This record gives sequence, structure tokens and C-alpha cells, in this order.
Amino acid sequence: MLKHYIKIALRNLAQQKVLTVINISGLSIGIACFSLFLLYAVNEFSYDRFHTNANRIYRIVEWWEGEGREAGGSGSVCTPVAPAMKKDFPDVEYAVRMRGTGCLARVNNNVFHTSITFADKDIFHVFSFPLLYGNSQTVLQDPRHIVLTKEKALQLFGTTNVVGKALEIKTDTAFEPFTISGVAENIPANSSVQFNILCNFEHFAQTTMVQESSNNWHMTIGMEAFVQLKPGSRLAGERKRLALFRLKYLPDERPKAKKEKEAVQASFRLQPLRDIHMNPQVEGGNNPRNIWILITIAAAVLIIACINFTTLAIGRSAGRAKEIGLRKVMGSQRKQLMGQFLAESLLLSVFSAVAGLVLAYTLLPLFNQLADRELHFSLTRFPELCWLLTGLTVLAGLLAGSYPALVLSAFKPVEVLKSKIRVGGSNLFTRSLVTLQFVLSIGLIISTIIILQQLSFMRSKNIGFNKENVVMINTGSIDSKKIYPLYKQAIESNTGIVSVTAAEMGLGSNEGQMGRGYRNYKGEVTGVIEYPGDYNFLNAMGMQIIAGRNFNAALASDSTNAIIVNEALVRDVLGTTITDALGKQLVEGKGNGRKPQTIIGVAHDFNFEDLTRAVRPQLFYRPANLNASRFFVRLTAGDPATKLALLNNTWKQLVPDAPFEYSFVDEKFDAFYRSEERWSAIAGWAGGISIFLACLGLFGLAALTAINRTKEIGIRKVMGATVSQVVGLLSKDFIKLIAVALVIASPLAWYCMHNWLQAYAWRINITWWVFALTGFFAILVAVTTISFQAVRAALANPVVALKNE
Amino acid sequence: MIKIRDLEKIYRTEEVETVALNKISIDVKEGEFVAIMGPSGCGKSTLLNILGLLDDPDNGSFLFNNIEVAHFNERKRADLRKHNIGFVFQSFNLIDELTVFENVELPLIYTGVKAGDRKKRVEEVLDKMQIMHRRNHYPQQLSGGQQQRVAVARAVVNNPKLILADEPTGNLDSSNGNEVMTLLTDLNEQGTTIIMVTHSEHDARYSHRIIRMLDGQTVLENIMV
Ligand SMILES: Nc1ncnc2c1ncn2[C@@H]1O[C@H](COP(=O)(O)OP(=O)(O)OP(=O)(O)O)[C@@H](O)[C@H]1O
Ligand SMILES: [Mg+2]
Repeated sequence: MLKHYIKIALRNLAQQKVLTVINISGLSIGIACFSLFLLYAVNEFSYDRFHTNANRIYRIVEWWEGEGREAGGSGSVCTPVAPAMKKDFPDVEYAVRMRGTGCLARVNNNVFHTSITFADKDIFHVFSFPLLYGNSQTVLQDPRHIVLTKEKALQLFGTTNVVGKALEIKTDTAFEPFTISGVAENIPANSSVQFNILCNFEHFAQTTMVQESSNNWHMTIGMEAFVQLKPGSRLAGERKRLALFRLKYLPDERPKAKKEKEAVQASFRLQPLRDIHMNPQVEGGNNPRNIWILITIAAAVLIIACINFTTLAIGRSAGRAKEIGLRKVMGSQRKQLMGQFLAESLLLSVFSAVAGLVLAYTLLPLFNQLADRELHFSLTRFPELCWLLTGLTVLAGLLAGSYPALVLSAFKPVEVLKSKIRVGGSNLFTRSLVTLQFVLSIGLIISTIIILQQLSFMRSKNIGFNKENVVMINTGSIDSKKIYPLYKQAIESNTGIVSVTAAEMGLGSNEGQMGRGYRNYKGEVTGVIEYPGDYNFLNAMGMQIIAGRNFNAALASDSTNAIIVNEALVRDVLGTTITDALGKQLVEGKGNGRKPQTIIGVAHDFNFEDLTRAVRPQLFYRPANLNASRFFVRLTAGDPATKLALLNNTWKQLVPDAPFEYSFVDEKFDAFYRSEERWSAIAGWAGGISIFLACLGLFGLAALTAINRTKEIGIRKVMGATVSQVVGLLSKDFIKLIAVALVIASPLAWYCMHNWLQAYAWRINITWWVFALTGFFAILVAVTTISFQAVRAALANPVVALKNE
Repeated sequence: MIKIRDLEKIYRTEEVETVALNKISIDVKEGEFVAIMGPSGCGKSTLLNILGLLDDPDNGSFLFNNIEVAHFNERKRADLRKHNIGFVFQSFNLIDELTVFENVELPLIYTGVKAGDRKKRVEEVLDKMQIMHRRNHYPQQLSGGQQQRVAVARAVVNNPKLILADEPTGNLDSSNGNEVMTLLTDLNEQGTTIIMVTHSEHDARYSHRIIRMLDGQTVLENIMV
């Protein structure tokens, strides 16, 4: 029996080739899309789960909360906190600090620029990073020990077994020799903790920067710290113990916080390792909401595909009403007819699933690029995926098959033969499905346009300084105190160069911020971002000084006791006006780092962070011993090629052994919006795919309608209807559906995007024309699709149409 | 009114070439009632479709009211057709989704008659055909004879000069058939030219003249007295 069903099913499918192809391709695109998105989501939720002790590992975070402020934290903590925790809490089994930086590595006289991570020696006790070579108990015991990943070992040495070999590294002023004590397997992509060269923290602790910070509980140097708790420890949930611990080392924090209602309360918290990737409250965490949105989009696309599948199945069966009537007259039982329909749609859905998986597999590299991930299609790693897809396939097949199976097989043969019943194309069920498809597609397209608008707004917004034509050179670990004046002198007078300046920090995405706590006008300690740059930094960047004066190289005090602050600092920290701020002193919270600084000028606010944030208080100063990590060179407008060549050549002359690494500041700022870019791409693709699928469905439906109405069209033509009248007749109904879809989708999309935009301190207003444009586009696409069928139907000779009746 | 000369229509399918009309020449004067008869497949319907401007001939000349229409394009033919010609088919060819009233109204819509006038004229015609009481029914709810009367109503609602009927009684019993033939005769007496294809000698006797066809040619003409 089954064999018979399949044979008949195959024959039917072969007879309606176009519809079959539409059917299969629609569902397979839907399945491909869904599996890719699902793979992404599953991967996101799989972060950091592979460590044996994953549920005992925590990251120390600095946490702030207070009234009128969203609670949040940062994984960047002060240097002494991790060892202090290990000392004070018996629950803490291991404490590991990690800090990444750039460095130069020298192997057999070849110099590479690479990133390097310093970590406390217990790192391999805490994290389950398997070693290819070396003993995890001892690999980092010595400050001169170093561990490479397999990939790095291959890159530097061309082989993996490099234990015992020497490697010279220069992080500070000179190359220093290290011995490779171990080679680790490559770190999985779904690990929040990443490294490719691992060095002992003890070595790093001897550098000047770390020395200054090692006992300073107010200073952060972008270091993360992890602890592994003993089994059964509840420390992570014991806020009181952590608060007491904090008070012990930061005793002056308590009194004001209690009195002042608005005070921001800072605390240490232990964030579960598995929470890091997906907790947006802590800096760098992703918002799981985004994943859910993605899953929703994926589900929407899949639903659209399934709807297509169903409407087309219904449609295909419509033309067979007569056949079914006849079969029933011949004595076929209802059960057999149902079996036939189900066999057909199951066969189709299995075809589609296979095609969909092949498609997903082919598209994976493209998708990885889009999603910025390294996903692998492994059904063994994600067995959930396997079951889900099988289930889906069967479900889609059953759903699509059951409507015709139930409805058609229940027909009374006489009525069918008198063709009193019309199926497909125009009943309420298929109409609602088509409307739903267009609601989803239109919603996605509106969202895409709004995301793109916000993106372009953020990129083009005047952020308070001139970011165009500025080359930012990463000095790596050269002796920039010596090189900077030489470099500046060598290029400054060139006509292609407008100005040259330097700073100890970069600008833009991934450059980080440094800051300290200062006392505000209420006596509390608040965070202020500090920017150590050269005298001419503000001028060269085109930042405006709106009160007071700029730094002056001729005044000795300007490099010891002078700061320029931004408007936000005047408002939030000083609580005064811009003119009153001049001459005021800013006192560091703890008071042991830096003596009070005098405000000599106020600069116009500029967005040194991405535009999700409002401008935070910031100050500029000129360090007495400026040790620049970035040179900034403003070029004249126009083709930068020759000017870059000049910069490169000058660099090569002055520091032949260090690579010339540069980026453009405007690109660094654009890079803030990678995730928005990604989202617009994802929503755009999903919107495009869904409207394509919806049109496939529409195409099929229009074809069916044309078939169902062949006779009517013929009669109307005989009565004198023109081609355009017939096309109008066939399109009118569908266009009504799309109009309804637009009316439903617009408020929904508006609501979602309005909420989405709330995350941005600087945002666009949603305008009505986005909806109008989308609606126009949807109708245009739909009309084009329908026209293919309608025009063909309208052009057909009515004589033929009437003859077939 | 109609003057065709050496008209040819050849159907070409993949292998066979069928000569449906073979240099046929016919004249029909205004006000005539002509019956066309002949064995199945001799080209009657083909001829009628060409006369009705639904199809175009491959060769020959076709003067309609002294205008050469043999090479008219689709648009021009449609224009001429909807103002001048009404059709009655064997299988009625009513639109199932439209009511009796709407079916009859259809040709008026396509000739651009205003809604108010349309109502008046449709009601007039339905009255004349004695199916006014069924105006809101759907075709499926009517008997064959009633359906054909609706079809005739539709054919005449535009006051065409020419009515083409392809076996109008083919699907009807004799009493219903006679009723339809009476309707056509009445119309002819009021001045409408009628060309009718039929297999029935009985029906043919209502006409003034019978054109007998064989293999795409006229073989004989009987003038009725
Ligand atoms: N669309 C077509 N394609 C190919 N051949 C056709 C087509 N239409 C008609 N023919 C052929 O042309 C010839 C004339 O057909 P036509 O329909 O005019 O016959 P008829 O006289 O109306 O027959 P009947 O009395 O059975 O209605 C027939 O041989 C038929 O097979
Ligand atoms: Mg015929």
C-alpha cells in the first residue's frame, strides 16, 4: 500500500513540476534558514560549558547600582582583588587574574606582532584547556614559562611540539627570553576566555603600570579575575560577606552611600562563568534577547515556508477535486485518499528537509561571516538540532497534508463532480495564511530599514570632533618616549600632514577606557574617564575648548597639575557652570594616587564611546612622561596612499624592527556598530528571504487562481474584458490581502523598533515614510509576482478556455 | 453585414496540420437568420469564433460592416466585439460566482455603461426573458433552460447587431429548446442578425437560410421559405 501511495505521489508531483519545485524550494530555504539561526542560537547558549568545573568558576565583577541608574557591572577589576579574595575566603580554591596586551615576539630573528595574555599560574587548574604537550600542574610555575596554543605554535615555529624552545618577547622596553613549557589545544570558539600566548602574571607584575596598580583598589588596568570556589561554597550568593570584604579594603565607601538616596553603591560580585557570554548587564556580555529575536525571526521564516507549503498543497489538491470525486465514485475509501495526500506531502517535506540541510551546509561559511562566528554543522555536537529538524519535517508534512486529506476526502462525490466546490486560492484559511506571511515579511523589512537608518545616523552624527582623515598608529612596544618626538619632527612639515599628536590610549572601538574615581560635589566617589594625551591632542583632533585654555608646552605646571574636562564632568561631578569650573580642583577618590588637579579648560562633549551611551564625565591631561601607545596623524583630505607611504617609510627608518600598524580613526568609530551592522544584515536577509518565500507562495496561489478561474476569464474576455481588466481582477484580491498585512504589520514593527531604539542614547525618530515605502515595495513585488500568472491567463485565447469546460 | 472570402484557418499541432476552414466564402446580410450545419469537426465552431472576432483567420478577407477585420489585433477585435456581437453557447458559460443579475450586467460593465443605466437595462432584458424573479440566484441554482435564457439575456443586453449562437439548444430538452429558439426568432424579428450553429434540422427550420459545411467548406445552401 505504502509503495502504491509513494508511486502515485511521485507521479502527481512530476505532473505539476512548477508547483512541486516552488513547494520544495520554499520549504528547503525555510529549513536552511531556520537551521542556521538555530545553530547560532544553540552555539551562543553553549559558551563556557565545556570546563569540568564550569559551575564552580566565577568572574569577579565590579557592580554598581543605585537609584535612577541601571544596575550593571564590569569584568575589569582592580589588580589586588583576586589575591585578596584567595587570602580572605577559605572557599576560594584558586584565583586567577588575566590581562591581554599586544607585544612583539621574536623567533630566530623574525619579529611578529601578536597578542599575549598574562595569567596567574593556576589557570590550568581552573579552566579545562587541554594541553598537547606539557604538564598542566607545572607549565606556568616559573615567571619565564610560556604556553602557546597549537595554532600559534604552528604559526611561529611551523610545528606543534615546541616545548623547551625559546621565544623572545617585548612588552615593555626590551626583548626578554622565555621558555616554552607547554602547548595547548586551540581554544574553542565558544569560550569567553581566549588566549594564544600565555605568560606568567608574575612577570607582568614587574612592569611599571602593574606595579602602580598592584596595591591600588581604585585603579583598573583592564584586567579580569576569575575564582574557582571549593565544592559546596555559597560565596557567590553571600552578598554580605562580599560587602564586608569590600569594606575592609575600601573603608571610606560606606557612610555616604547610606545617607544619600541617589548614591551609587559599588560592590564586588561573583558572576558565574557560564553567565558571562549572555549577561548584558556586565560589560561585553551579549543580550540573550537578541538571540531570542533571532530565534523568533528564524521561526517566522520557517512558519512562512510552512504556510507556503500548506497553501500550495491545498492548491495542488484543488485541481484534483474532480479526480477525488471520481475515485470515490469508483469506491475508494476516505482512509485511502487521506493516506494518499499524506504520503504526498510527507514525501515533499522529506525532499525539502534534505535539500534544506544541503543548502544550510553550503551557506554556512557565508552565514559565519554574517554572524561573526565559527560555527560547524555537527549534528553530533548538537543532537537537539537533529531531533528538532526531523520533528519539524514530519510536522510540516503532516500539517500540509492534513488539510487536503481531511477536507477533500470528505467531499460528497456528486458535489465535486458538479464542481460546486472550489478549493484553494480563495478560501478564508489560505487567505489568512498569505496575510500572515506578508505581516511577517513586511515587519522584517520595516525593521531592517529602521536599523539601517539608526546605523547611518550613528555613523554620520557629528560626534564632537573631526574623525575623518586621522591615522592612528599603534606603537606596540617601541620606546615611544624617544621615538615620538623624532617621528613627529620627521613628518610634520610634509604638505600632506596637517598635524601630529600622541596619546597613551587609542580612540574608537576596542580601545577601552581608563578611569579613576574622583570626589563629586556631593562628596561621593564617581568614575571619570581619563585621557592622557599630548599638549596638542585636543586641537589636532578638532575638539573644541569652550572655556579656559588649552595645554601649553611652555608651562611646566601643565604636565603636572592641569586638566581639561568635558561638559559632562562639569555638570555631573562639579555640579557647576562651565565658567565656574575653571580653576577648580578635582580630588581623587582615594587620594593616594594622584594629587588634586586644577581645571584649566572645559572641552565640548564628544562621543568617545558608542552612541548607545550618553557622554560620560571625562578629563584630559598631559602626563609628565608621556609614553604614547598611539600616534595620531591628521592627513589632508584626498587619497591617503602617498601619505601612508610616507608614514610607513619614516617608521621603518626610526624603528626598523617593529611593524607599522595603523588604522583610520573613523573606521575605528564605525566599528562600534558592528553588531548593528550584523543585525541589519540578518534582519535584511531574513526579510528578503521571507518576502521571497511569501512571493513564491503568492505565485503558486496566483497560478491556482488563474487555473480555477480559467473559464471565468474566458467568459469575461468574450464579453469584452481587456487584458488589464483581467489582470486587475486577478490581482485585486491579493493586493487587498497585502494591504491588510501592512495595516497589521506596521504598528507591530513600530512597537518593536521603538523599544529597540530605547537602547540608544542617541537615536532617530521613526518616520511614516518607512512604512509607506515598505508597503509600496511589498505591493510592487506582489503585483509583479501575480502579473506573471495574471497576464498569462489574460492573454490566453478565450476560445481554448471555454472549450475545456 | 458580413462578407468573408477565401477564409483559411489551419491548426498546427506538433505533428498534424488540421485545415479547419478551407477557403470558405460566406455572405450574411443585416437582419438575416442563418443556420450553419454539418458533421462534427467540419469547422463550424471555428467559423463562428472567427465571425465573432474571438479568433483570427490565417488567410483570406473578412469584411465586417465593410471594414476589413481579418488582421485586427486583439485590442481592436475586443473593442469591435463588445459593441456589436453577442454570444450564446451550448454550455451556457455563465460565471458561477456571479448572480444572474451580475452575469447579465457583465457586458455593460466592459462597454463602460454607467451603473444606473446598467440596472435599468439589465432589468429590462431579464423581464423580457422572464427570469426577473431569479435575478439574485446563482447559475447553479437554475435549470438548464433558465441558464440558457440568462445567457441569451446577457447576449442581447448590449443591443448587439449580431448574435452568434453555437448549438444553443444542444444541452436542452425539446421544450426548453423551443423556448430558446422562440427567443432568438423574436430577436431576429426585431432586427438582430443571428448566425446559429446547430445539429438539429428542427431548429434549423427557424432560420431563413441553412449553410451546410463539410471539411471546412460550404457545400450547399438551402433558402427557407
Ligand atoms: N485548438 C485546436 N487545435 C487543433 N485543432 C483544432 C483546434 N480547434 C479545432 N481543431 C480542429 O479543427 C477542426 C474543426 O473544429 P471545430 O471545433 O470547428 O468543429 P465543429 O464543426 O465545431 O465540430 P462539432 O460539431 O463537434 O462542434 C476539427 O478537426 C478540430 O479537431
Ligand atoms: Mg462545435
